[in-house]
Amino acid sequence: MGYLKYLVFRILNAILVLLIVTFIISALFVKVAEESNRSKMYEELMMWERTEGAKIKQSQGLEAFEQAKAAKQASLEEKYELNIPYWQKVYNKALRTLKLDFGTTSMPIFGTNNVSDIIKVAVPRSILLFTTATIIVIILGIFLGVRAARHAGSVFDRGLSIFALLTYSLPMWWTGMMFLLIFAFKLGWFPLSSMFDPQLTGWEHVKDVIWKLALPVFTYVFVVFGGWAWTTRNIMIGTLQEDFIMAAKAKGVPEHKIIYGHALRAAAPPIVTMIIFALLGSLGGAIISELVFNYPGMGRLYWVALQQNETNLLIGLTYFFTVLYLAGVVLADMVYGFLDPRVKVGASAKM
Amino acid sequence: MRWVDVKEGFKEFLEEFKREKTGIAGVVLLIILVLVALTAPYTTMPDLPEKWRSSAYWEDNPKNVPPEWYNMFTSQKLVPQQVYYANNLKISHPSDTVTMIEADYQFPDGYYLGPQGIIIRGLNVTLNAPSQAPTMDIYLLRPDGKTIPLLTNKQLSSSTTISIGRDSTISANVYIWLVNVTEGREITMFEVPLETILISDMVAPMFAKVEPGMNVSDIIGNPQPLNGQYKLILKINNPAPKYNQVVYDNLKVTFLGRSYGTMGTDYLGRDLWAGIIWGSRVSLVIGILVSVLSTVIGLIYGVTSAYLGGNADEFMMRINEIFASIPSLPILILIGATLGHVTLMFIVLLLVIFGWMGIARIARSMALQIKEQTYIEAARALGAGNGRIIFKHILPQLLPYAFAVIALSVPGAVIAEASLSFLGIGDPSAVTWGQILNAAQAQSATTKGYWWWVLPPGLGIAVVGLTFVLIGTALDKILNPRLRRL
Repeated sequence: MGYLKYLVFRILNAILVLLIVTFIISALFVKVAEESNRSKMYEELMMWERTEGAKIKQSQGLEAFEQAKAAKQASLEEKYELNIPYWQKVYNKALRTLKLDFGTTSMPIFGTNNVSDIIKVAVPRSILLFTTATIIVIILGIFLGVRAARHAGSVFDRGLSIFALLTYSLPMWWTGMMFLLIFAFKLGWFPLSSMFDPQLTGWEHVKDVIWKLALPVFTYVFVVFGGWAWTTRNIMIGTLQEDFIMAAKAKGVPEHKIIYGHALRAAAPPIVTMIIFALLGSLGGAIISELVFNYPGMGRLYWVALQQNETNLLIGLTYFFTVLYLAGVVLADMVYGFLDPRVKVGASAKM
Repeated sequence: MRWVDVKEGFKEFLEEFKREKTGIAGVVLLIILVLVALTAPYTTMPDLPEKWRSSAYWEDNPKNVPPEWYNMFTSQKLVPQQVYYANNLKISHPSDTVTMIEADYQFPDGYYLGPQGIIIRGLNVTLNAPSQAPTMDIYLLRPDGKTIPLLTNKQLSSSTTISIGRDSTISANVYIWLVNVTEGREITMFEVPLETILISDMVAPMFAKVEPGMNVSDIIGNPQPLNGQYKLILKINNPAPKYNQVVYDNLKVTFLGRSYGTMGTDYLGRDLWAGIIWGSRVSLVIGILVSVLSTVIGLIYGVTSAYLGGNADEFMMRINEIFASIPSLPILILIGATLGHVTLMFIVLLLVIFGWMGIARIARSMALQIKEQTYIEAARALGAGNGRIIFKHILPQLLPYAFAVIALSVPGAVIAEASLSFLGIGDPSAVTWGQILNAAQAQSATTKGYWWWVLPPGLGIAVVGLTFVLIGTALDKILNPRLRRL
């Protein structure tokens, strides 16, 4: 029962945070939209003054012009929602966002104006790229990390540590630029741009996608797996020094079984948390990396939305990222409580 | 904690740190970086950030050329930059009205292409009788004995700058000369194809083999180098030397290189080496400031939250979660984009606001353990206030951990600043590695193969990151006894 209670508490907590964050995001974006809408309105008003306004001024005099101008301004203010008080707008926006009603964009992206549809197109692409890469990283990282922990202090361990430290300080997008230079420009093994060819279908399309994905995936794996292996190694070394491992060794349990049966299971909670956040983080895409590779996923979409000032799309994407993160927190807590009995006892005992 | 204890502890720590080879390597790197950053105004130029943005300042530099040392790795060598001032030009006066200026240019063997262009500037002309203004002819004398008339009867004024390679009249003259030599016919200005003037490199053919019977478009498309001694001759006619004076003291003739300096140049001809050196200042300052500030804030926040406990703790942790769940990079981009002009200090502030949460969480969990210890209870029983207990008794326990965190979070801050600058949201008055990479991306340097523009700034970021990671892991090893046994 304690576990369930703990879970409900965590979920309620996440929902509360989501509400507040949605409100903050709405406040921020409505402010941005208000500014751009105001300038749009004045632009339109100026246009009107120069064309219709000038006509009225000539035919009916200055007074009629002033009246018509005021009427026009009022109608424009209504069109751009400038007549509603700021907080009212924020409230409306937050409410609609929570209902997943993100509205439309002013310019079509991926052939549609509906924000939800646009996100639905971009998400699978980011999943494809970053989730593939993350899975490779997890497998490689855990395997190499465990190996390094078993032979702590060996040449392999030292080499891995140095590699991890080196790649930890590399910006992924810069590495992407370098790999583009080396593998795409100089050697010509990969394409310079990862934008998909919309003409292709079927098997040809799959081949095109794999071909375009190869370099970004390789870059991601190259930059990230060292850090993963290193963290796994450190966690494993800590676990391998615990008493129960000593006991198992003394009992004569085979080393293979000790490592994968006892130690890795004990070290699982932090590693699983890392996996969950890595997988969820992968859905968001990496804004700059996707820009560098010209890859049409979530990150690049975010950038396009910023450039074109598509506030609704920006809110939709930000909301999506936030939900993902909070879902990750809850999921990680759940798994943590499941794997490590001490956690749920500790937390539920408090309640 | 007594002062003696601190001193003892510090000594002990130093002893241990000396045994960490990686830590020592990190400290050495840090000292080098700090020296490079501090001496930047003396090793390059004192006011680079102001000049960085003015394209006029860099006009005398070749554009998009690799560094000079690149020649060591290629079979097709690229000539370096060569500058002549008044004292290494031959200036003679054959008559009262004529002045001859000669620049000897050696196009050495093994080099693939001649200079990217030639720029002549710094003629001081005083015009009192404009109708008799001085004029200039320019010729290039080639090792094969041929002479190219580059410009004839150019009227001079004080602002006259001749830019061979960017001047369309000169390009057309070269084309006319090419046709004349290869086909033996004279063509007029109007017969020169437009792309020759606008797009083609007409400087390379000036330094290439040109013989009768050769094809002009072959020479332009694939010039064969003609190495040897060249002579650029400026013949200045001053029909009224009494009224109009021409002073040559500031004359500067630049043979633009096909390679330049230590790190090459970018699309404006900016010296990338100077930019990289200056970029280290911003990187170090931002990295250290952001990590120190966010660590301090996170520590105090976490410890306070743990110590207060109960509802206050819950409340503070909710605020922490809210900050942690706002996707930070997009919001940073948004704020930067709406504000337009941001200063470095504002970027520091933003990165701190979105950077303290993780540390606060860890500090809280550590403080929860410390809080339960008896001496805290004793202090409370003696009537110590909350602030005193937090700052005097709990925080000092976390200090060693804080140093490791500060060092380990520097790379993140450096990368974050570079990422923002890369996206064009940075302090425009500063020279940073991110901005250099931003320009590189905007000019699609990667797809053109300008590696010297992309590689060094990222390496700079990586070196700064590595420095602090080395120091941080060494600290971590000393302070985290479990890892120490290795």
